[in-house]
Amino acid sequence: MARVLIIEDDRVTADEIGAELQRYGLETEWVGDGNTGLERARGGFYDAITLDRMLPGMDGLTLVTRLRESGVQTPVLMISALSDADERVRGLRAGGDDYLTKPFNPDEMAARIEVLLRRHANASRPMVLRVGDLELDLIDRTARRGGTLLDLLPTEFRLLEFLMRHSGRVLTRTMIFEAVWGYHFDPGTNVIEVHIGRLRRKLDPPEREPLIHTVRGAGYVLEAR
Amino acid sequence: MKLAELSRVSTVRLLPIYGLLFILWSVLLVGWVQYDTKRYLSGVVDEILRQRMHYLNHIDRQRLPEAMAQTVALDLQGVMLYGLFDQQGRKLVGNIEQMPGGVSLDGVVHFLPGGVRKEGDQRPIRSRGLATRLDTGEVLILARATSVVDEVNAIIYRSLLWGLSLTVIPGLIGGLWLARGPLRRIRALESAAQPIMRGDLHQRLPISERRDELDMLAGIVNSMLQEIERLMSEVKGVCDSIAHDLRTPLTRLRTQLHRMHREAADETAHRAVLEHAISDVDSLLDRFRALLRISELEDMHRRAGFTDVNLVKTIDHVREIYTPLAEDKHITFSFEVAHDIPLVRGDPHLLLEAVSNIVDNAIKFTPTGGSIHLRLTQDAAEGVRIDVIDSGPGICTTERDVVLQRFYRGTCTSKDVSGSGLGLSIVAAIVKLHGFKLQIIDNPSGGAWFSLSCGPAAAA
Repeated sequence: MARVLIIEDDRVTADEIGAELQRYGLETEWVGDGNTGLERARGGFYDAITLDRMLPGMDGLTLVTRLRESGVQTPVLMISALSDADERVRGLRAGGDDYLTKPFNPDEMAARIEVLLRRHANASRPMVLRVGDLELDLIDRTARRGGTLLDLLPTEFRLLEFLMRHSGRVLTRTMIFEAVWGYHFDPGTNVIEVHIGRLRRKLDPPEREPLIHTVRGAGYVLEAR
Repeated sequence: MKLAELSRVSTVRLLPIYGLLFILWSVLLVGWVQYDTKRYLSGVVDEILRQRMHYLNHIDRQRLPEAMAQTVALDLQGVMLYGLFDQQGRKLVGNIEQMPGGVSLDGVVHFLPGGVRKEGDQRPIRSRGLATRLDTGEVLILARATSVVDEVNAIIYRSLLWGLSLTVIPGLIGGLWLARGPLRRIRALESAAQPIMRGDLHQRLPISERRDELDMLAGIVNSMLQEIERLMSEVKGVCDSIAHDLRTPLTRLRTQLHRMHREAADETAHRAVLEHAISDVDSLLDRFRALLRISELEDMHRRAGFTDVNLVKTIDHVREIYTPLAEDKHITFSFEVAHDIPLVRGDPHLLLEAVSNIVDNAIKFTPTGGSIHLRLTQDAAEGVRIDVIDSGPGICTTERDVVLQRFYRGTCTSKDVSGSGLGLSIVAAIVKLHGFKLQIIDNPSGGAWFSLSCGPAAAA
């Protein structure tokens, strides 16, 4: 079972994170200050860390920098009340793997942790991604479903690649927008919906089992059910 | 420093008035001095002439020529003129060539308007003189050149000219030079006020150590700014903390609804209600997020994160992101990108967000089957410019200013479009941060036309 270290000084938030992650079947541990957090994290027995940006003792940026200096590569999700784009860049530069702004949607947080866990687990980059009868060749940049070549636009290919890399995980709209286009703002409800809709029409012809599923109120998941 | 600007400084305006008064007064003063001097000197001349005449009058007719010659011999300066003429006006004795015209034989000293021609001279000499008829019927004329008086006059006149030019010209130059001081300080105030006008209320106007009237004015403005800043931060603080504080409980509410929804099994009616509630909470959260985003953008004063942005790429991304949305609504989404668009200074993410919001808005308001035209051009006057023109209902002239304000949603357009009314406020905040200009232009075909001028090209 994957273990997640929660470094967060606010008890209520920590509980919220813990409850949500446990719901996804993850084991959690909570630490309330930076110094203890760094100590524990260096132990290296965790699969992921959620890290508050502002902490008593040692702030989140310093902590993640020290952690990376000591060679620990555990994925870190930085959680911060500072939503500024520069803050995000700073957090990611210091060694954070992802960045989330407070107050966050717990689903979104859990989805991001899941992605981090997955990314860390298969660090090796496969040449071909497969989900059910869907096959994505990353070298040829072609997609096939049951042997039939799919005619995808570059954007659709990137979108599908992201969904397939994290198949079985719920991906929120913002996560998709960030990953596929690289921008960190709210593109509005429709944008991702429409893009997913188009991909779906190409991917899931009526006679076949659908692969892209909508998780109401949360996002999308690609999996063979 | 421009001349027109300099001429408006109060010191410079006062200069000609003071100069004129000074000249007038000097002329009056010198005129009086000159008049008085002339009167005095003429008096002296007249006295001499009268005495001589008196003396000559009492000399025997036979000895008269001799006495006259003596008188002239005594006159080393050569200013004395005399002459004895017979009844027909012919010269008998003396150094006067001919009888001057207009002489009255009354024995009183007059200024001789025609002057007196001295023997051997071509031109008549300005002089004062008197004439009497002797008992013999001959005419005796005595005159004295006024050259001394004239010389003194000339000296006074010259000293007036010199005095004026030595005071008025340096005075004018000095005045202009002095006027540059206040102008330079106005310049400093102006440049200090620029960031304040851009919304950076932390800035204050500079106050020098002179504590003069400009400083007093700057001080008044500064205390006004202080108060405005305090009020603004209060209002903003209230807005932000409402948005911020409500976000957390709303997020929790959403989580709970979500949990209930998950556990609600298949009771469809129940689930539908919960789904509806979740989407309502979501739109509330979206609104708060947008509000906080605006205030975050408004707080960003630094432009350290700015780089050179290739707007062609930005437009490409917008095309990629929004074309499917337009196609779904059967809207013709056309693009026009000019060649050689220079880079602009800005934040690429924010600029994409701004253009996205405008396009998103256009797609929302343009009815099915309509069209949207996105144009990236460059012209000499306004630099790089992005235009988004749609065939929707457009924005009423009266609403053009307010649509950029928070929460405002057009009332004279369709009301069935969902949205927070914050999209354009975000655009406005981003535009302001960049120092660009967003305009809503009259569209002859009726739709909305947004024009974003990205300032002067390249160098910006």
